[in-house]
Amino acid sequence: MRIAVCSPQVPFAHGGAELLAERLTLELNEAGHETALVTVPFKWYPGTRVLTQAFLWRALDLDETDGRPIELVIATKFPSYAVRHPKKIVWLVHQFRQAYELDGTELGQFGSSPEDRALRRSVHELDRRTLGEARALFAISRNVAERLERSTGLVADVLLPPPQQLDYRCESYGDFILSVSRLDRAKRVDLLLEALAADPALRCVVAGEGPDRERLEELARRRGLDGRATFAGRVGKGELADLYARCLAVFYAPLDEDFGMVPYEAFLAEKPVVTTTDAGGPLDAVADRRTGLVCEPSAGAVAEACSWLRGHPQDARAWGRAGKALAERLTWGEVVETLLARA
Amino acid sequence: MRVAYYSPLPPERSGIADYSSLLLPALRRRIEVEVVRRGRLRPQRAEAALYHIGNSPEAHGWIVEALRRKPGLVVLHDFVLHHLVAGSTLGRGDGAGYLAALERDAGLAGRLLGHAVIEGRIPPLWETRPQDFPLAAEVLDLAPGLIVHSRYVEERARAAGFERPIWRIPHPAWPPPGAEPARMEGEPIVGCFGNINASKRIPQLLRAFLRLRKSHPRARLLLVGEAAPRYPVERRLAQLGLGDDAVHRERYVDEERLWSLMAACTVCVALRSPTMGETSGSAIRALSLARPLVVSDEGWFSELPDEMALKVPPGAHEVDVLTAALELVASSPEARAAMEASAREYVEREHGLERVAEAYAAALEVAAGGEAVRDALLWELARAAAESGFGPREETVLARRLREVGIGP
Repeated sequence: MRIAVCSPQVPFAHGGAELLAERLTLELNEAGHETALVTVPFKWYPGTRVLTQAFLWRALDLDETDGRPIELVIATKFPSYAVRHPKKIVWLVHQFRQAYELDGTELGQFGSSPEDRALRRSVHELDRRTLGEARALFAISRNVAERLERSTGLVADVLLPPPQQLDYRCESYGDFILSVSRLDRAKRVDLLLEALAADPALRCVVAGEGPDRERLEELARRRGLDGRATFAGRVGKGELADLYARCLAVFYAPLDEDFGMVPYEAFLAEKPVVTTTDAGGPLDAVADRRTGLVCEPSAGAVAEACSWLRGHPQDARAWGRAGKALAERLTWGEVVETLLARA
Repeated sequence: MRVAYYSPLPPERSGIADYSSLLLPALRRRIEVEVVRRGRLRPQRAEAALYHIGNSPEAHGWIVEALRRKPGLVVLHDFVLHHLVAGSTLGRGDGAGYLAALERDAGLAGRLLGHAVIEGRIPPLWETRPQDFPLAAEVLDLAPGLIVHSRYVEERARAAGFERPIWRIPHPAWPPPGAEPARMEGEPIVGCFGNINASKRIPQLLRAFLRLRKSHPRARLLLVGEAAPRYPVERRLAQLGLGDDAVHRERYVDEERLWSLMAACTVCVALRSPTMGETSGSAIRALSLARPLVVSDEGWFSELPDEMALKVPPGAHEVDVLTAALELVASSPEARAAMEASAREYVEREHGLERVAEAYAAALEVAAGGEAVRDALLWELARAAAESGFGPREETVLARRLREVGIGP
């Protein structure tokens, strides 16, 4: 079968959604399907740009290419699912969250003017129509599926993506907590830094790059964390596997995250995960005192959780191993089979 | 966003007043709402307006006047507005206004009928044939968009040539108040609630109830609501020999008593023909309490799912079908249980207050800012097309694609 995997691309950004689309393309090819990744640059501001950029997807003709039909499209995140195709499947990474649960928060985009309010509703209408016309709907987590149903009434099956391929291993339960994420406010790395400020015995390594890095580094300076908080920037696969292998535990507590591959990656390195009760997707994976610690979203609670793990490495090991068994059940073979069964 | 809200409100005795008092708190959780009282001016800062319009001139005449001054989104609770127009024109000595409205609906024949009404040659059309002369044209002309509660009204508005946006938003359901059922002798208890007038099919209901009493001698009918002037309901009961043991009659009851009486019912009956396009607050209340419902197979009522509402077509076999429906509900606990379960599920799914309020907020926001968004979007796309040397043919394709995703004009 000829398949187009559709994913928007924010130029110069490369995160979980991009990795997922690339890997899906690869796995479909390996399963014997001629598959191409189709991307369109995405910019969601100012004003109606979010709609014109979405509309670019609608204007694409993916019925065929070079005189040969494209038999299936698999769209991933907003706005790629606006694409028009008689056989469209959506594996939903996320909707445009600024138009939904982030509206009215500091992470929102739309103001209170009638134009902004109507613009937000236009995004809703676009979602209802273009997701509603899909032949099958899957979501990458229970959190994403629940948001979709709340916002549009559409029901998606949950299909968890497997973590990226790394040289996963466990070498030790070292003296640092690892944070792996793009550095933007929604990832709340500042919670971890504030936890370090609350407990002088804690150390952390922050892996990742993003617009919030400067603010986070300034915060670390203000809190006097020099030497205890290391900003590693964007790390390669080998270095990431190495950090996973040596850390004590992984901190991952974004606000109401869609899915988050990080907990599963941590598990494959037999490391427990510290997350928060409002983290969303990660709560599908992290069970309190079974595969990690789930605490309140406060610096004090995060500090307490990390300190507890420092004092209980045997529990850290046991929970990490329990997580590994969970993560190993997620395979690309299963994903490909499930998606194509509904084509 | 701030919305000027025009509606009758309690203590006015009106179904739409009850409706607004239910909706307003949930709507205020989403947008800023300023209720405009009768005789007051529209608030300066309002960016949108919402006008609740029904068929009563006393309750809605002033709202139509406000709509004339400043158009805004109209909630059309009834499609037939003949009473409203007659009251606002003839009722104020404006015969010419009434004739003009009739002519607009029905041409010269309408004007001539209007003359006949004014001269007393024929009975008032609002009593005999309002459904044939809905007189909704002026309101439709003024409204940049409509909110309706039923497919029936939406279709009638479209058939009348209304081309602007229509949002179909279900009537919100009251949260069941947990009322203690009123103590009432009889089994089964059949309830009929709301203003009693010719369109409520009371003669048919009474005849069917008499037949039900033959198989269920302890059956009791609760007839609750004010009777319209000149509607002789008490005399009719006496003629049929339906005494207090068979019919429990109450006129206007307060909200608490209404719920209590409804909770005592085995089945509620909400018949309506001819329909003015209205929904029934009583039927919605009955569904909120998960009471089995018997309704007319007409207008909004016929859009209720069959699983929880037995439908009675008005006409020749109406009494037979109504009797059969009452017999079924009275005799079959299984049928009642299935209807109750369906009602619960349906009310939660379709008529949930928060869902309805969210749909209102969406409609208001799109009505207020949607055109500006569309203009900005089209300008951006048209500029890109023009800069690339594309012409009108490509623009047509663009417009079609935009409509497909719900963001086009």
